[in-house]
Amino acid sequence: MHPDGPTAGESNLTAMAAPSSSSPPDAGRTPLAGVRVVDVGNFLAGPFAATLLGEFGAEVIKVEHPEGGDPMRRFGTATDLPDATLKWLSESRNKKSVTCDLLQPDGVQLFLKLVAKADVLVENFRPGVMESWGLGWDVLHAANPRLVMLRVTGYGQTGPYRRRAGFAHIAQAFGGLNYLAGFPGETPVLPGTVPLGDYLASLFGAIGVMIALRHAQNTGRGQVIDVGIYEAVFRVLEEIAAAYGLHGTVREREGSGSFVACPHGHFRCRNGKWIAIACTTDKMFERLAAAMGRPELASAEQYGPQRKRLAARDEVNRIVTEWVGSHDRTEILNMCLAEEVPAGKVNSIADIFVDEHFAARGNLARVDAPGLGEVVVPGVVPRLSATPGRITNLGPALGDATQDVLTTLLGIGADELERLRALRVI
Amino acid sequence: MNAPPTVETLPLKGLRVIDIATVIAAPYCATLLGEFGADVLKLEHPDGGDALRRFGTPSIRGDTLTWMSEARNKRSMTIDLRTREGAEVFKQLIAKTDVLCENFRTGTLEKWGLGWDVLKAINPGLVMLRVTGYGQTGPYKDRPGFARVAHAVGGIAYLAGMPKGTPLTPGSTTLGDYMTGLYGCLGVLMALRHKEQTGEGQTIDAALYESVFRCTEELAPAFGMFGAVRERAGSSHNDFAVPHGHFATKDSKWVAISCATDLLFARLARAMDRPELATDITYGNQKTRLEHRHDVNEIVRDWCGSLTREEVLRRCYATDTPAGPLNNIADIFGDRQFHARRNLVAMDAPDTGEQVIVPAPVPRLSETPGSIRSLGPKLGEHTDEILRELLGLDDAQIAQLRERKAI
Repeated sequence: MHPDGPTAGESNLTAMAAPSSSSPPDAGRTPLAGVRVVDVGNFLAGPFAATLLGEFGAEVIKVEHPEGGDPMRRFGTATDLPDATLKWLSESRNKKSVTCDLLQPDGVQLFLKLVAKADVLVENFRPGVMESWGLGWDVLHAANPRLVMLRVTGYGQTGPYRRRAGFAHIAQAFGGLNYLAGFPGETPVLPGTVPLGDYLASLFGAIGVMIALRHAQNTGRGQVIDVGIYEAVFRVLEEIAAAYGLHGTVREREGSGSFVACPHGHFRCRNGKWIAIACTTDKMFERLAAAMGRPELASAEQYGPQRKRLAARDEVNRIVTEWVGSHDRTEILNMCLAEEVPAGKVNSIADIFVDEHFAARGNLARVDAPGLGEVVVPGVVPRLSATPGRITNLGPALGDATQDVLTTLLGIGADELERLRALRVI
Repeated sequence: MNAPPTVETLPLKGLRVIDIATVIAAPYCATLLGEFGADVLKLEHPDGGDALRRFGTPSIRGDTLTWMSEARNKRSMTIDLRTREGAEVFKQLIAKTDVLCENFRTGTLEKWGLGWDVLKAINPGLVMLRVTGYGQTGPYKDRPGFARVAHAVGGIAYLAGMPKGTPLTPGSTTLGDYMTGLYGCLGVLMALRHKEQTGEGQTIDAALYESVFRCTEELAPAFGMFGAVRERAGSSHNDFAVPHGHFATKDSKWVAISCATDLLFARLARAMDRPELATDITYGNQKTRLEHRHDVNEIVRDWCGSLTREEVLRRCYATDTPAGPLNNIADIFGDRQFHARRNLVAMDAPDTGEQVIVPAPVPRLSETPGSIRSLGPKLGEHTDEILRELLGLDDAQIAQLRERKAI
């Protein structure tokens, strides 16, 4: 907690239960105990899938280049630790780091030995790169027929654009999400300054891995999971494909609102803070009208039916905007909640840190980073009742487990370790 | 889609899922499981069924296009859980089910005598996904929750929009629903693994706002350590990298350009035919670019504004600069990559013949790909079939249930 932060946050953080992270790890109770994942990816798209598996008990070995490792170590807000931004520390949680230079033949051999002992391999190089190192699917599959390989790239492993550089924001734009964020006719804005595409691709990827692990368990056969970040994004855009296909409707930016319901958007309170109100159905608008002390607005003659509200959306939004603007956020929220209107604060991270619900659910996990102190990171999602996930450590130092993994798992002796180190293979 | 797999090769064949949820979040978990072969029974209230049938653009049949797409592969059965007979039939179905997806407000199933304790006693191996706006615990657990509100509470609505301007919808009002369906599905698959090893079922407690908050990278640690509050950044997010955002082209279209490293900026400089911009004494270092972000953005903006989108992208691709179009759905329908990857699947609605184009399953598995075998079913289309097949009821028994409005 920052010393200048809101004081209410202190007590909330102290009181927070953080059940998912503070409970001691119990290997017997994690659903993925015994699953070994090798993560040779960079940044988030793909590696976050390994993070999710690691939270639920998989052993995740992050294989990194000996010179500097994953560039995510230097992307984001730097800390007092070398090569460990906050982004790295949070999202490489539970991983151990092994250095291995895949550009050297010795590194390739070492990597193959590691893959032979793994259940899952996660990678996100451009298509053809692993192949150019002699580490294509054929080779890996021969080394380990049960291997499940998750490959995440901007555009997928096939198709004319497969070799193009693809990062989250590019793929989000290509997949159709970024076009939709912003005011109608104005500059498309980022749909929140977080790499949503990387997270979505990783979620789909992790689901694919779980399904493929099940298949491998039943049949002994591994397989490849091919995820294009753009298609993960495109897959979550409701009916826009179907509506264009049938009616030629091109969905456009909808500002802070929605085309299908009204009022449904963000409104500014008297104290300058923002609130979200979502009246998806007529019943909810009726409740809002009651909360506003103007039940007549929800009559059939006025704005009761959604159809009428959509036709008069500017007027409806004006009425709500005026009402919201005449009270502070806490008052508006309380009036909405008293009538069960779906409404919530448009939270900044400062709001989140003092929110009693985030505290009660343990969404802000405080984890010690050796040499740095406590770091507050998002807790584990989702919450499993019998086998909850946990955070055992934050992003590791580069190569912190090289010796351990090579000695214990691969049975490599001291002399060979010395040789590999001298050659900068590890 | 890949070559359509037969039902026999689908990896989740033999798994039965009951979906008594509504709209997108929890049902999307069932959709994902169904694409990979699970038998998904969609249980709906006899009076109108899932509200998703009415959100969006209607098909000829009346159910919306979102329903037709997202209820793919499901079988629909009507049931009124508030009737004694309905609850009884539900319990019998639960005994033969691996996964239950629900998203009633906290306490609702319990009120009907169908809480976790009851269901677990019937089927100790049951995996139950519970989705709500705020989760099953905590002070806000009883509040109504929709994705719009979850985006706001979870912190991403605050981050979308022009600096100091109105916080905007982060592209789609249902993102949080899909994200929760994804987290929920992952939880279900892990819980199924645990069940297969131990016989023990469990609940997965998923909250819409948490799925959103979990995807905010270093937002929390940066506030925790430095008190940094991330704000809306408009079309360019330049806290860590420049240029990194959206730029308008001469033909009033948009491109995204994202140079996370110096190497990538050097490629952009070559694409712009101005390699001198990427030297040590100009803008070659990220640190310098961040200090002069306005100048750098202006140079890129001017360049993009002087060429058509096609030309900007052609030059970026030639030097391997990360860039791409801001596609609208019309662009997507005309795009070679979408076609080559078969991301768009045309399906015929069986009764009306109406062709509906829907997104193909993601992710793509090489040996056991997912598939779309049917579009969203009609309300109650499979009620009789399910009751006969699973519970062995005969016509008279089914008629009686119908008479009592239990189904």
